[in-house]
Amino acid sequence: MASVGFREVKKDFGKTKVLHGISLDIADGEFMVLVGPSGCGKSTLLRMLAGLEDITAGAIAIDGRVVNDLDSKDRDIAMVFQSYALYPHMTVRENMGFSLRLRKEKASVIAEGVRRAAKILNLEPYLERYPRELSGGQRQRVAMGRAIVRDPKVFLFDEPLSNLDAKLRVAMRSEIKALHQRLKTTTVYVTHDQVEAMTMADRIAVMNEGRIEQLGEPLELYDRPANLFVAQFIGSPAMNVFDGVWRGNFVEGLGGRWACNARAQEGQAVKYGIRPEHLALAASGMPAEIEVVEPMGAETEILARAGGQTFNLMMHGRASHAPGERVFLAADAAHAHLFDAATGRRL
Amino acid sequence: MKKFTREAVLVLVAIPILLWTLIPIYHIFLFAISTKDSAFSGALWPDKPTLRNFEMIAQQHHFYLHHFWVQIWNSLWIAVAAGAITLAVATCAAFAISRLKVRGGRAVMNLALFTYFIPAAFLAIPMYKAMGMYGLLNNRWSLVLAMVTLAAPYAIWVLKQASDKLPYELDEAARIDGATPLQLFRLVYLPLMTPSLIAIGTYALLLAWNEYLYAYLLLSHERQIPLAVALGHFIAADDSPWELLMATGLVYALPPAAIYYAFRRYMVSGLTTGAVKA
Repeated sequence: MASVGFREVKKDFGKTKVLHGISLDIADGEFMVLVGPSGCGKSTLLRMLAGLEDITAGAIAIDGRVVNDLDSKDRDIAMVFQSYALYPHMTVRENMGFSLRLRKEKASVIAEGVRRAAKILNLEPYLERYPRELSGGQRQRVAMGRAIVRDPKVFLFDEPLSNLDAKLRVAMRSEIKALHQRLKTTTVYVTHDQVEAMTMADRIAVMNEGRIEQLGEPLELYDRPANLFVAQFIGSPAMNVFDGVWRGNFVEGLGGRWACNARAQEGQAVKYGIRPEHLALAASGMPAEIEVVEPMGAETEILARAGGQTFNLMMHGRASHAPGERVFLAADAAHAHLFDAATGRRL
Repeated sequence: MKKFTREAVLVLVAIPILLWTLIPIYHIFLFAISTKDSAFSGALWPDKPTLRNFEMIAQQHHFYLHHFWVQIWNSLWIAVAAGAITLAVATCAAFAISRLKVRGGRAVMNLALFTYFIPAAFLAIPMYKAMGMYGLLNNRWSLVLAMVTLAAPYAIWVLKQASDKLPYELDEAARIDGATPLQLFRLVYLPLMTPSLIAIGTYALLLAWNEYLYAYLLLSHERQIPLAVALGHFIAADDSPWELLMATGLVYALPPAAIYYAFRRYMVSGLTTGAVKA
């Protein structure tokens, strides 16, 4: 186990600047998720930590030791790839024991390491099989097994669940989390899926265009997004946002007045954000028309149109509403978010 | 119905092509089992088929066949050496260009391929001169080296295309697992490239086995030449022993046929690898 530190890390691919000076500290045993849209630089940052990409500027340290010039093999890390990257010509056993074999460990040590990892991941019945004989989920577990066997200081996961179907993804999500709780190895996990980030992380770094937009615990990011990007990226369905102007303790927008606990300067252009579960159907408020009702059993998602904009509402339980019905929307002022329209920063 | 018509058309096209290919081979066979007198009779099957020609070959009972066993050994030696060296050179080059992404690697490959713009026959003279300068004329190594030169560019290109298709994550995974480039080459790259390696090795081997021009130029001593050149000597005389020439030719064709048959599975998949971007 070890801590990981990024100090003003920059990466250029030719003239394209991919990372603009990332600083991030990951504590010993922490599960850190790097999340962001495609091309935000999260995978590049992980690959730099793995030693698979050169570092243009800055420093990366593992356990306090700068590893910029160390080969991947000398960084004591293990990585799980999106494509699994299992050696097709080796059995599960050989795949998992490969790193120990390269280290010239004794056969008995290799066998014991593989046995232990296989037990943790329920891979014992498949040890003599080849990767092509395994399902997607099993292959992903072998890839994890290969990482566990090495007993590394840091686990790196590069979108490991993207190739799995939705159901398996949820199952593997819990497995990885459980594995982390059991092994307590420092983990850096890259994903573009904010649900994965929210459910698995101790802390999340939300990245966009080569910068960290916000760093924090999942619910902190959810409850107090630092800017509009984080507000709209974290949470599913996404936060409702519209333009308004701050006048006399209210936001005037979409032809109505919206209450909010945050404050802005009189006449300031703002963006008003409200999460779907903090918007309700009420006896009075913003007039709207229901467009779509999506019952999901435990919850009901409603799409309603008001002031020329579509709003997402999430209601607990079931709702007896129908498309075309005229309703009123009421926002929970205590949970409303206010952002500066020009900078996108939280007010 | 549509499928039936399509298959019928294919069969109709295939039959003449098959006959076109097989008739010369049948002719060789016919000559090989005929006596000298009946060889040119024009019959579709000889009156008295005989294996006498093969017996004569085995016992080297003819002026042109006095060194048969030495010459076929030469052919084999040259072909295997050329195949093995081409394979070694091309595999290392493809690995360096495709996997280690050595700077300038692609340029080297393109330069090598550029040699194919010049017909091999034109290169024969400079090659002859070069071998002469190195004192390799009349040495089997001269032909081996010439064959490696001719086969390597294509071999590198095919192997590079094939290795480009291996996922790069495998290399990265191996690097993280602690593999040095040499271990990556030996433990991951070579096993995964086996089908292409077999195909390319066979290609180079057969190229050298079938070579005539360079062998004729570079080797002249009776005991140094491969059988292909020796076969050429048969038609130097006014009264050529055609039946022996054909019988020897048939024997000469057997090893490549056997090799191709043994590795046919790899030949098709290996040589077309990289031809189309998958």
